[in-house]
Amino acid sequence: MTDFDVIVIGAGPAGLAASLAAEKKGKRVLLVERAARMGGILNQCIHDGFGLIRFGEKLSGCEYANRYINEVRASKVEVSLLTFVTRIEKKDDIFHITLVSRSGIRIVTSTALVLSTGCRERTAKQVSIQGTRPAGVFTAGSAQYYLNILGEMPAKKCVILGSGDIGLIMARRLTLEGAEVIGVYEVKPTPSGLTRNIAQCLDDFDVPLHVSHTVTRLYGESRLTAVEIAQVDEKMRPIAGTEQIVECDTLILSVGLIPENELAETLDIELDPKTKGPVCDQNYETSQVGVFVCGNALHVNDLVDYVSESGDVAGSAAADYCGRKRELVDIIAGKDFAYAVPEKLDVNSEASKTVVFFRSRDVRDKTEVDVLVNGESVYKRKFMKLKPPEMERIVVDFSRVKVGDRISLEMWEA
Amino acid sequence: MNVDKINKKLKENGFTDFSVRESPEGLVLEGESSNWNDIVNAGFCTAKKFGKIHVINDARYTGDEIPPMRRPELNDKAIDGLYPDVLVIGGGIVGASIARELMKWDLDVLLVEKEYDLALGASGRNDGCVHPGIDLVKGSLKQKYNLAGNRMFDRITIELDVDFDRCGQSVAFDSEKLLPLMHLSKIYFRLMGLGKVRVFNQKQLHAFEPAVREELKCGMFFPTGGIVCPYNLTIAYGENAVDNGAKLSLNTAVLGMEIEGNEIISVNTNRGTVYPKVVVNAAGVFAENIAKMAHDRFYSIHPRKGTNTILDKKTARFVNTSYTLRGGEVKKEGNTKGGGIVRTIDNNVLVGPDAVETYKKEDFTTEDKNIAAVFEKQSKATEKISRGDTITYFSGVRAPTFEEDFIVEKGRKIRNIVHAAGIQSPGITAAPAIALDISKMCVELLSECGEKVLRNSKFNPKRHGIPRVARLSDKERSALISQNPDYGEIVCRCEEISRGEIIDALNRSVPCDTVDGVKKRCRPGMGRCQGGFCGPNVAKIISEQKNIPLENVCKGDDKSGLLFGRSKGGDRND
Repeated sequence: MTDFDVIVIGAGPAGLAASLAAEKKGKRVLLVERAARMGGILNQCIHDGFGLIRFGEKLSGCEYANRYINEVRASKVEVSLLTFVTRIEKKDDIFHITLVSRSGIRIVTSTALVLSTGCRERTAKQVSIQGTRPAGVFTAGSAQYYLNILGEMPAKKCVILGSGDIGLIMARRLTLEGAEVIGVYEVKPTPSGLTRNIAQCLDDFDVPLHVSHTVTRLYGESRLTAVEIAQVDEKMRPIAGTEQIVECDTLILSVGLIPENELAETLDIELDPKTKGPVCDQNYETSQVGVFVCGNALHVNDLVDYVSESGDVAGSAAADYCGRKRELVDIIAGKDFAYAVPEKLDVNSEASKTVVFFRSRDVRDKTEVDVLVNGESVYKRKFMKLKPPEMERIVVDFSRVKVGDRISLEMWEA
Repeated sequence: MNVDKINKKLKENGFTDFSVRESPEGLVLEGESSNWNDIVNAGFCTAKKFGKIHVINDARYTGDEIPPMRRPELNDKAIDGLYPDVLVIGGGIVGASIARELMKWDLDVLLVEKEYDLALGASGRNDGCVHPGIDLVKGSLKQKYNLAGNRMFDRITIELDVDFDRCGQSVAFDSEKLLPLMHLSKIYFRLMGLGKVRVFNQKQLHAFEPAVREELKCGMFFPTGGIVCPYNLTIAYGENAVDNGAKLSLNTAVLGMEIEGNEIISVNTNRGTVYPKVVVNAAGVFAENIAKMAHDRFYSIHPRKGTNTILDKKTARFVNTSYTLRGGEVKKEGNTKGGGIVRTIDNNVLVGPDAVETYKKEDFTTEDKNIAAVFEKQSKATEKISRGDTITYFSGVRAPTFEEDFIVEKGRKIRNIVHAAGIQSPGITAAPAIALDISKMCVELLSECGEKVLRNSKFNPKRHGIPRVARLSDKERSALISQNPDYGEIVCRCEEISRGEIIDALNRSVPCDTVDGVKKRCRPGMGRCQGGFCGPNVAKIISEQKNIPLENVCKGDDKSGLLFGRSKGGDRND
């Protein structure tokens, strides 16, 4: 007998949904969170736009999180806050998880495990910015934490590198707080964030967006004094002679998110190099049986509503997990896809409403997405526009797929 | 000394803008150039390796203004009027180890460092290799102190409670032609006291370091090589010195000296004037400036920059010890130990360093082309290193003389100064041995003027480091947490560092109240997220512990504040 049926690691939106879904199935659930409160990054998202799909309302991140937090509090889910997982071992199909907290070390066991560990931000060094190492270089999430959680201004005059959503949100937030945002610079020829955020966070506040530009160098011995910005060629390499020096005291980076899968790696879980999350089936079960993954640890989402949805799926599948035998078929995304999730289909499991998330590799107009089983189309949909920053969701009926079949995703001009 | 010969050699080598004259202090290089490398190469051309006569570089660089020394803005009288027996200038590994060695004597020691913390120069910006001392010229001070220092490392690191791994060092070769020579040199190295030096054939090499490129043919292994965290060792030396009564004054720059006859009377700093009996010059890249102030300049330093890249811990599974590739098309880089691929003491992989001459003594900037070149070079040893795994990179500046040897000696014209200068690689390895000799020289100088210097019977060599909670067994860890629950609250997720460790780092005998200071002492922010998650929390802990407003918490020096004050809605009412 294990201590719990399901242990969920990480109490952000994915973990909250997963633990509730498992508990609703009558399972004994432990939700582990390293911070002092549940909600994850939503706690610092005081802007609105959350919950349109889930609740049909525009909520702030905190409000969205609170709906789930209140539900978890009212449920039988055991919550362990300020608790850090240091080790996961699987012995005789049982997970032994070592937890460290202010009350000491606790080892708990469970039948199934849900990893909802979220993601981290890429840093200045990961995008090869050179020069000095001054204070005043923050990832957008850190800057947001300083401002919205600690109530402190991280910038007076700043440059934002990367047009990811948090960067755009921070451009608006800092402007509202009285800081000067000189501009948002994006290395790619098209913006990385959602179209609505470009409109609401930049256009509405006259913050210029410069695509095909990047920050190449930092100046300042103590605090940042300036950055060097250069135009880039089609291979995103700085073009000599286009450098300009822009004075600023802060550089905020919104240059991408990386799923946090260090725990998954300790369990030898196979990762998809495209998503940087675990390879999984439609129940979000990973290559390690009994381990499920959801939210941004699986792949980086742009809407929290989908994060919660993946939590529902993973939590409820973890609750139903009984070590049954899976039979997996690959779902192969064509070359025009940045990625598609899930990467596998378990034909022994319910597949009539398989949700497939995907991103296109390039910006495309009028495109038909075709899902093929053994070369025969089982699903078609036309998209007026596909953009890499905007994740698409389709629901496909795979109930007739058998072992040995071949599932592929293709897109072409419509 | 045949100066004419040297001048002829300079002409022959195309250094027509330079000339050399002999002075009582040494060989003075004169002339001017707008190309710094010309000046450096003229200096090399002039230098006599390992002689007592050094090159003094008076050639003028016209290419740019040489930036002045970075100095603290602070001006106070904190150390004004002190009369220490010994003043040690420079809080790097050399100065800190000397200060600690001096505390074994009943002496009043003052250690001054111009930066806000110890180990902010070359001591905090190197690869942490403890070298076996294999490729150093016989009879050089580098070789002498490398061999002696290396033997002291086990004891020193146990006493100071600093991690040290004598993992060995290997060298790979791309040609089997060298094998007979290697077998011969093996005997030589064993006779030198380097232990069971081994020669690897191809199979053994790959069994030992599986990530070494398949086409590499053979190698050698030196078991006395090791790895240490260089800044932690420096800080540990400093802490143990202070624990034993040394005075440490940070943010303290030496600005001038009063000399009378052959004696330093007083030393001026931005924090007051002090009157030491003996001065130790351990000022790193600025050692020549200190020597000049002391009227005892008989050598020159030409700064040489190197850049290292740290890779994600995940890559550490490819590297067992530290290795480098030699021979064949891979040329040994001029005058540096060439760098390599190093598994650091904290289990990251370090790639580098390179060696670039510079006229800027404090140029810690990084350049993409230098990093790219290092990766290209080191990729010849293994294909497993990728810039995509980078978590950070940094530059340091070495302090070599033109003779490329250490200077460890008493002043030549001035009676009460001792120089520990020109210390570059293998400086970390050599430091314990250099400290021993320098402290003896100080005691001799003090004794010469009738002072009776006694042993310090109260000297305690033991230091207790900050506990590394994540490394304890479950039982030890539980016990520690039940004593102090802060050790159970993880603040830095990447490196698994607890709140308790951070609080410890802030409350030790060498003061620390900065984000970078905490990072060096116990590693929050050293991991793959580079402080993205824990940075604000570390700043908050500093603010609480040191009772300073959050907006006054600095990354490093006092002008590197992180924040600009409360936000509009951020009035404190919690």
